[in-house]
Amino acid sequence: MQREAAIREPLILGDKSYKDITDDVVGPIQGPAPIGWKIMITISSIIAVYGVGCILYLLGTGIGVWGLNKTVGWAWDITNFVWWVGIGHAGTLISAVLLLFRQKWRMAINRSAEAMTIFAVIMAAIFPGIHMGRIWVSYWVLPLPNQFGSLWVNFNSPLLWDVFAISTYFSVSLVFWYIGLIPDFATIRDRMTKPFAKKAYGLLSFGWSGRAKHWTRFEEVSLVLAGIATPLVFSVHSIVSMDFATSIVPGWHTTIFPPYFVSGAVFSGFAMVQTLLLIMRKGMKLESYIHVKHVEYMNIVIIVTGSIVGVAYLTELFISWYSGVEYESYAFINRFSGPYSWAYWIMMTCNVISPQLFWFKKIRRSLTATFALSIVVNIGMWFERYVIIVTSIHRDYDPSSWGEFYPTNIDIGVFIGTLGIFFTLFLGFARFFPVLALNELKTILKSSGENYKKIQDKH
Amino acid sequence: MNKVFHVMYDDDDTLKTAASQLVAKGIRVKEVFSPFPIHGIDPIIGVKRTRLGIAAFMYASTGTALALLGMWYFMISDWPMNIGGKPSFSLIENLPAFIPVTFEFSVLCGAHGMAITYLLRNGTLPGMPATNPDPRTTDNMFVMEITTEQNSLAAEALEAAIKETQLFELSIKDYK
Amino acid sequence: MANTKRYWSGLDELHETEAFKTIQEHEFPETKSVDEFLSDDRIESTHTGRRDFLKFMGFSLTAATLAACETPVIKSIPYTNKPSDVTPGVANHYASTYYDGQDFINVLVKTREGRPIFVKSNGRTGIGRVNARVNASVMSLYDSARLEGPTKGGESSSWATIDAAVKSGLEAAGRNVLLTNTIMSPSILRSIETLKATSNVEHVSYDAVDYGAFRAAAVVDFGINSLPSYQFDMAETVVTIGADFLGTFADSIFYAERWAKTRRPENGSMSRLHAFETNMSLTGSNADYRTMVKPSEQGKVAAALLSAISGNSATNTLSDVANAAIQSAATDLKKSGTKGLVLAGSNDLHTQRLVNAINAALGAVGTTVLFDHEKGLFQGDQAAFQQLLKDMNAGKVSTLIVSDCNPAYDAVNAEEFIAGLAKVKTSVSTAMVADETASRCGMIAPNHHWLESWSDLQIEKNRIDLVQPTIAPLFDTRASGLSFLTWCNADAGMDWYTYLRSTYNGSYAAEAMYTDREWNEAVHNGHMVMGDRVTETPAYTGADVSAAISNVNKRTGGSFELALYQKTTMGVGQHAANPILQETPDPITKVTWDNYVTMSHSDIDAMGLNGFIGQEAPASVVNIVVGDTSMELPVFPTPGQAPGTIGLALGYGRGANGENIGKAAFQSGESGSFDTDAEGNLIPVGANAFGWARLNEGLVDYTQYDVRVEATGGTYPLACTQIQNTFMGRESIVKETDFTSYFSERDAKKGSASWNKLITLGVHEDVNADGTIDALDNKPTAAFDLWHEHAVEDVGHRWGMTIDLTTCTGCSGCVTACHIENNVPVVGKDEVRRHRDMHWMRIDRFFASDYSLKKGEEEGTGVIESYRRMEDPALNPQTVHMPMMCQHCNHAPCETVCPVAATTHSNEGLNQMTYNRCIGTRYCANNCPYKVRRFNWFNYPGYKKFGNFNPAQDSLMRMVLNPDVTVRSRGVMEKCSMCVQRIQSGKLEAKKDGTPVADGSIVTACAEACPTNAISFGDLNDKGSNVQSISQNNRAYHALEEIGVKPNIFYMTKVRNVEPTQA
Repeated sequence: MQREAAIREPLILGDKSYKDITDDVVGPIQGPAPIGWKIMITISSIIAVYGVGCILYLLGTGIGVWGLNKTVGWAWDITNFVWWVGIGHAGTLISAVLLLFRQKWRMAINRSAEAMTIFAVIMAAIFPGIHMGRIWVSYWVLPLPNQFGSLWVNFNSPLLWDVFAISTYFSVSLVFWYIGLIPDFATIRDRMTKPFAKKAYGLLSFGWSGRAKHWTRFEEVSLVLAGIATPLVFSVHSIVSMDFATSIVPGWHTTIFPPYFVSGAVFSGFAMVQTLLLIMRKGMKLESYIHVKHVEYMNIVIIVTGSIVGVAYLTELFISWYSGVEYESYAFINRFSGPYSWAYWIMMTCNVISPQLFWFKKIRRSLTATFALSIVVNIGMWFERYVIIVTSIHRDYDPSSWGEFYPTNIDIGVFIGTLGIFFTLFLGFARFFPVLALNELKTILKSSGENYKKIQDKH
Repeated sequence: MNKVFHVMYDDDDTLKTAASQLVAKGIRVKEVFSPFPIHGIDPIIGVKRTRLGIAAFMYASTGTALALLGMWYFMISDWPMNIGGKPSFSLIENLPAFIPVTFEFSVLCGAHGMAITYLLRNGTLPGMPATNPDPRTTDNMFVMEITTEQNSLAAEALEAAIKETQLFELSIKDYK
Repeated sequence: MANTKRYWSGLDELHETEAFKTIQEHEFPETKSVDEFLSDDRIESTHTGRRDFLKFMGFSLTAATLAACETPVIKSIPYTNKPSDVTPGVANHYASTYYDGQDFINVLVKTREGRPIFVKSNGRTGIGRVNARVNASVMSLYDSARLEGPTKGGESSSWATIDAAVKSGLEAAGRNVLLTNTIMSPSILRSIETLKATSNVEHVSYDAVDYGAFRAAAVVDFGINSLPSYQFDMAETVVTIGADFLGTFADSIFYAERWAKTRRPENGSMSRLHAFETNMSLTGSNADYRTMVKPSEQGKVAAALLSAISGNSATNTLSDVANAAIQSAATDLKKSGTKGLVLAGSNDLHTQRLVNAINAALGAVGTTVLFDHEKGLFQGDQAAFQQLLKDMNAGKVSTLIVSDCNPAYDAVNAEEFIAGLAKVKTSVSTAMVADETASRCGMIAPNHHWLESWSDLQIEKNRIDLVQPTIAPLFDTRASGLSFLTWCNADAGMDWYTYLRSTYNGSYAAEAMYTDREWNEAVHNGHMVMGDRVTETPAYTGADVSAAISNVNKRTGGSFELALYQKTTMGVGQHAANPILQETPDPITKVTWDNYVTMSHSDIDAMGLNGFIGQEAPASVVNIVVGDTSMELPVFPTPGQAPGTIGLALGYGRGANGENIGKAAFQSGESGSFDTDAEGNLIPVGANAFGWARLNEGLVDYTQYDVRVEATGGTYPLACTQIQNTFMGRESIVKETDFTSYFSERDAKKGSASWNKLITLGVHEDVNADGTIDALDNKPTAAFDLWHEHAVEDVGHRWGMTIDLTTCTGCSGCVTACHIENNVPVVGKDEVRRHRDMHWMRIDRFFASDYSLKKGEEEGTGVIESYRRMEDPALNPQTVHMPMMCQHCNHAPCETVCPVAATTHSNEGLNQMTYNRCIGTRYCANNCPYKVRRFNWFNYPGYKKFGNFNPAQDSLMRMVLNPDVTVRSRGVMEKCSMCVQRIQSGKLEAKKDGTPVADGSIVTACAEACPTNAISFGDLNDKGSNVQSISQNNRAYHALEEIGVKPNIFYMTKVRNVEPTQA
């Protein structure tokens, strides 16, 4: 049996047995819905419905209901898209990259992180759809044989790369997530007494029985999928960044974008995970599985990625000056001194300054501080995209077309709406899905469980 | 009259030791049901290494080939267009623009191909019945399945041998 | 007599045989009645089996399903028999002449399937080049506000009733007056003569904008009642004192073209233009030297200039700046001598006399200043008009016939006219719409639209210009001349055409119509010439101008002075209901759909008003007090506005009392309904400023020397298409130089001249082989291609365009021409304010800033601050007008980013936009460095918001849409197509003739409309084509060359005729 150093903090607190783990996770699913959950899902679903209303109005009337204009052709729509995709990176990163690195602490959080990923990517996928002038022909982005004869898509366009990247990323993470879920659904199935629930989970569990052979395959698949998903994670946001990097717009046309966007994505993704988990662990009494250590680990990731992002910002500024290109340098001068400088400075404070607070162990291990900062970071990351997109195009090459962008109520409504949909979905997940990866947790109980560690220490 | 023994243990390590004891006696363990992967059980009960990895690689390379072929056909062979003055003469010249899609498509095929194969080979598909002998095996119990049919020993001898291990519960059924 | 013949179908019928009878009886065999049928008990035995039932079910279901999915029915009416001269899909052009009391010009009218859809210059045989107002005027034909027939007391009536009423009115005692604008049609004048002779009618005429002083001065100084005609093509030095001769002044329509002839540096010489003016006018923005003077100083400038030229140094109260400018102007004038030309815009006798004196002193009269037409434009007699008003108010006028004028709107004292009109017993108007005046007249006898009617016009002694109908009258209207004849019982059952013909051929008979070669030729050409043009050089007799000098020097101004002006787009308001002109940005301020007070930045800051107008930065509203009247108006900060003065445009505020003059004349809300004020009245676009002109010595003066401007704290949104006014020192967009520098390097190789250097980028290799790798090692952007590109040189056609920034005056004729030719949607004020104007062709107007990074370095200002200051234009800036449309880049950044290949490159060098493939990601627009792509944010042809002004939504105005160009649907991108429809038809013509496409046989709408030929279009691969040779000129450059997108549009470096230091 594999051991681990005694000095390592235990990942599972309290005197837990395999049974306790099952009970702790499946118990809430069997029990009646807590009142808090009911309140939260009501609020979020109301917001969701409002958002859907805004979207329908948009689709019915035209893109003109947004604040876009001849100069600023993208604003909140693509900002939200990139923001959501970014958030959607943590899950797969946690489950894939950390799995490859054999980071056990991921097991407590990967399930919900992946769920978050799936939902975030769904939210992200909404925007490229609705930002189209003619969404009803959006299927034209696929190279389909068609009655127009030889009419294919343009594989030079980064937008098309996006189509492939996002759809691949979404479906692969979905599969990855679900394959992990199957054994846990089986556990729930075997615990369920109500016939309907039993039938439902029976369906979901695909008749999983936990045979040894299946388990080997299971581990192999998880490993290989992780291996595939890791480059995928990096590729997806790199490709998203190419939407800008391959253009000729000063402030977009930047080779630093791919790494810079990826780290930004991880940064915001982990922040969102923090926000959700800190609520969930309280709401669902999972303190012994998700505790300070996990939070601290994630905060460390946030420091690192946050700093990378900070360096990227400064590099951009330096290069814009060093390049000596008139338009390039003006684009960045305009960023921090122009009409949208306020957005730039919000971004700087939230993304570069605030995560540095995590250097202090006290703050790093304080749940309230973490919660607050995680939200600050996500605000910052939203503004990062807003700054990149809007301040770059609102004043580009031809001064005669310089303009400004003012969001309309519909802009705001759609964004808030996606938040509503996202939380509705996540609450649904928290209620009916195994929020912890049972089968994985059980494997580390003996190595990293507090009680077992005590026993080890005795010897 | 064949018999099937479902030997239940309450701990993965005890099951592992028990398994090795029995195997040492030349008893063949047919199957092990557990709530989570018991690392190191496979060699003991003789489960072969899976070849899913290789399958995945093949799927992925098919994807790569398909992607490149498709883009060559769409952009160069079937209907080349002057798009922004960029070359539409040969695959090589256009390749840089094709890399992202090629990669994504390979991953798509690799991942899904493997996932589907995995589910098929497991026989775990929507609507399949659960086949674990005891509901607790998905919770905290570990069951070893031994059949007389697979073993030369007689049922009694088997039972005796099994009883020697620190088992938690034993159920013997007649094998239809 | 009844027809008794009988026809029979056969012998049987003739002989009425038995067989025939029986057949006839059973022609309609009587069937069983329903009751009978039902009562038949055999029905019981019949039965419908289950299978049959199912069959029927199946059938009816299928039938129902098929019936449900019917295809939309497109209503179209086929020609039952084809008119001889109309071929569907092929345009016909007819020569005609446009005259609306302001602009006079020979035009060609393009008709499709009988619908006039485009008006352009009749360059071949005609005179003048169309401006924005004229080529957009075709819209007025389809104005749904036009009267559908005669009306009496607001109710529709019949011609008989109207005629009877007018006749009886004319018989009544009292003055009978016919009030018109300047009538230039000999035939109408002839009919008016008859009217005067037979029923003691007096003819009074006045002009919306009065030019009486010019004629008065000419009478005094030359003894000839005539408007001077300025020969700009002869002039070497032009000095204008507040005359916007490139935009709206007098017969400006002839001037831009002639002036531009002298502005081609390739000729080795350029004329020089000095401008002294109050408002920044189109002319001022094109001047080499521009000086800001107040209205009260304009006379003094003329006086000072006179003394400077005649050598006596009289002192004056002008600023040193102004005096210096006057001195240099005088020097130039003296150098040019008889080739000098001075003109002043103010309708003030004394100023005009001084100007005459100067021109006489220069000896310019006879070379650059001609008095060659007795009649000509603007013959109005303001004094007679004022007398008429008095009589009307005194109740002395019993009958008033108003024709082709709108005094209730544009008279200097419209209130008096309105009051007087109420006292007139019989009043009738011949207006086409119930405008301010017509709606107050007792009756309206609507005239034809000029595109519907025959007419003749005489602008010069020796030529008659013809107006011919291009479409049958849409409504029950009647030529005004014919109405006059009818009312004096002189029509003799003649139609107007016959009468017109008999004006020139007393013995004209209807048959002659076909045989009269001479006339038909004249109709074909649009005019007939009778003898040579007689120009006379009248002797200058007005030696003593001391009275004038003392008069002008006495003038003093108050805290603010007001100068009223006409907008290049709106004229005097005759086009108020024209949505395209309303949406065309003013060439100087770039503001659409409004008039406003223009004010200098210095005054704006002093008064603490808003100096930056943006989408959410509305203009400050000020209260302007003139005498005892006042109006609250928004303020637009205008560089070049003389400090201490304000400008206000005429021609706005039409339909102030909700007169139905056309939907586009009123403000619409976001919901698409009209905005209304507290009383529920419609709100007109802009405010009427005619009331603020003043009567001065019997003439109308369009300035006020003492007005008060009070800040109100209110705000008002203005829709401006360009909010950044300077080009931030980006010299790769705008290249300019002075004539001297140009001349010294006029033979330089393209790309080597100091004022148009080929843009190169540094490389890290020893290009110049000087042993070191340094800043000197550069390569042209072309060298930086990543791949071997698609060949464009010498492969088939390569359509391209050259635009000369030197001769482009910014008149915006190309903007309106493009708008109409390509069915560009009109989106209205609110959308323009949201920065969503749809113009394919726009004119970027850049003001020079007096700050630069270089200056910032010298002064030690930081880069950030320097850039901020560079955003502000100078107080009296130099101006660049830069037409900007799709550059059709060979390496188009928009094409590569489109995911669905909706925009691709044609093998003829066009950047094609495939509307029905576009999915609307807008990535192309973001990636376009010129920002020329326009997105259909809404369904413009259908969405309610645009119902009041988008022509595509008006059942009548829809007729003006060009059938060769699709009306774009919602959610797709659109942009300049280089008039691909014209290219295709041109190629087709060439193909039919079996000849290669001849240079100049294909012209885009913008190039066609350009009065100065600044825009040329052609095939860059056609060696020896005009555009090809221009593109090789050393002034030619690509905008934003360093991006390496390789446009097919070339710009020509702007050359100003100024001293090198002032470039």
